[in-house]
Amino acid sequence: MDEPVMTFVGLVAHNVWSKKLRTILTAAAVAIGVMTVVSLGIVTESIKTTAAAVLKTGDADFTVAQNGSSDILSSRMTQAQLTRLQHTAGVESAVGVLLDTQRLNAQNPLFIEVGIAPQDLRPFGVKIVAGRPFDATAANQAMLGWQIAQNLGIRPGATLRIAGGVKTITGLVSTGNVFGDSAGIFPLIPFQAHEREPGALSLAFVKVTKGASIGTVAARIRQGNPSLTTIRTVSQFGRADQSYTLITAADRGATILAVIVGAVIVANTMLLSLFERTREFGILRSVGWSRGRVVALILSEAFAISLLGAAIGVGFAVGVVSLLARLPSLEGILVPSYPTGAFLRALLTAAAVGFLGALYPAVRAGLLRPIAALNHE
Amino acid sequence: MSSPALTLAVPDLGEPVISVHDVTKTYDRGMVPALNGLDLEINRGEFVAITGPSGCGKSTLLHLLAALDRPDRGQLRVDGNDLMRLPHPNRYRREVVGLVFQLHDLLAHLSAQQNIEIAMFGTHRRRGEQRARARQLLADVDLAGQWKRRPAQLSGGERQRVAIARALANEPRILLADEPTGSLDSHSVEQVLALLRRLRTEREVTIALVTHDMAVAGEADRLIRLRDGRVDQD
Repeated sequence: MDEPVMTFVGLVAHNVWSKKLRTILTAAAVAIGVMTVVSLGIVTESIKTTAAAVLKTGDADFTVAQNGSSDILSSRMTQAQLTRLQHTAGVESAVGVLLDTQRLNAQNPLFIEVGIAPQDLRPFGVKIVAGRPFDATAANQAMLGWQIAQNLGIRPGATLRIAGGVKTITGLVSTGNVFGDSAGIFPLIPFQAHEREPGALSLAFVKVTKGASIGTVAARIRQGNPSLTTIRTVSQFGRADQSYTLITAADRGATILAVIVGAVIVANTMLLSLFERTREFGILRSVGWSRGRVVALILSEAFAISLLGAAIGVGFAVGVVSLLARLPSLEGILVPSYPTGAFLRALLTAAAVGFLGALYPAVRAGLLRPIAALNHE
Repeated sequence: MSSPALTLAVPDLGEPVISVHDVTKTYDRGMVPALNGLDLEINRGEFVAITGPSGCGKSTLLHLLAALDRPDRGQLRVDGNDLMRLPHPNRYRREVVGLVFQLHDLLAHLSAQQNIEIAMFGTHRRRGEQRARARQLLADVDLAGQWKRRPAQLSGGERQRVAIARALANEPRILLADEPTGSLDSHSVEQVLALLRRLRTEREVTIALVTHDMAVAGEADRLIRLRDGRVDQD
């Protein structure tokens, strides 16, 4: 077989592969870091997606929740606060709902229950696609999102054991998003009684009057109700969900930690390599290689190892997230999606690890005097 | 502002291609003298052997001529390049001089061909040309067909011939060899010397060879003996 011409990239690959065990061990360390970063990224992204879907239910311009609650389902506000919202300048309508979740069956482990007054269904943006609305005080009536109804094979008039008892499904609804279309809708007052929280609400969905500034109205509400906060975008979700804030912080912290640990390990490997190959760098300088080319060689080798680590790490991350999603306690809550951003993040993490880890050894190699490198024993 | 260009023009034969004037070099902050006001000239096409006792400054002189190190003071001109004001020392080492060391210094994990190709990185030669040139050079040093072998699969003499081929990769006009036969058996020494003589005849390469071995030095056109950092005998 013909010997291929040695190119710079070929030399990088050759050098990396000539120390197989060291390369694999270093790449494994990078892989662990990348796996952590990507797994947490996917989990956080999944929670964001869920949050965004819940917040986008209905026609509201923004959502109002309890300021700083541990998670969105524990958010609580009173009927009096809702009334005050409804009377805030610029508010066209404010619909209060009480939320809870329960496990319906193995196929539907996270069933969202929404308590809402029948007169609020239309302002909320809920369309009845089959049957009729429930009565305001009927504890034995409920409606289902058309998607879950289809999955369960239920039509209006059928009964179903949910929310603490057997309910007659009076109608099927469409909300325009997958979570709403897979939820159960209950008359608010009986639902509050079932939850043993009379008068309590979780969220309010606010629509502003035509021509009013959404931002101004939201700010007005926050100023007038310090215990409440407004959420317009997914990034504001943390205001009403401390667990989301915590996991986002953990995600960022883990990323920084993974980069630092990975960089230290790569630095260790590249420094070892530098000491072993000092004479080699002297030879390269003696045959006309510039400092820059030597620096580029070391950085490229580190980047190649990190890239290998990233590829392994992404593979492990997908496996770990798939396993997590199958845990009974997380089934339905963690719906993993694999956005391009997560993989881009893996690549950036690997690049950062490679660059930071190799920077010092590369600069040191570049600064070596050729004669000193050649005389290195 | 443009820096002074590297001189690559070929001057007339016979004029000094290497000119060393009043060059002093010390180590350890002046505590260890290596060259002490050295003056010498080497003409184009000459095969010069530089000898002398250990510590007389032979290798130091070669390192200075290769721009691997700088003198404390003095003037060094090689093929029209003022080494005290060299704008591109890397290009100088790549294109003006070729270096051969005692320990051959091939990269162990690369083949003979690849060891030569890495010396052509950064030149304008295309990949195909690089390969063809590497193979031709191996043929020129009587190692045709050995291009795939790693250094560990070659004898000491063969390795040194690969190192010479690498030094010639970019067609330098000057070959600087530091004890190139120092670690070879007598048969290999003869092979390497025959190659150097052939290079000088066929390619008109100027050769400066540092050696301890007077038998090797005897093969050169001219013998320069150093002592205490100066020319003792020329």
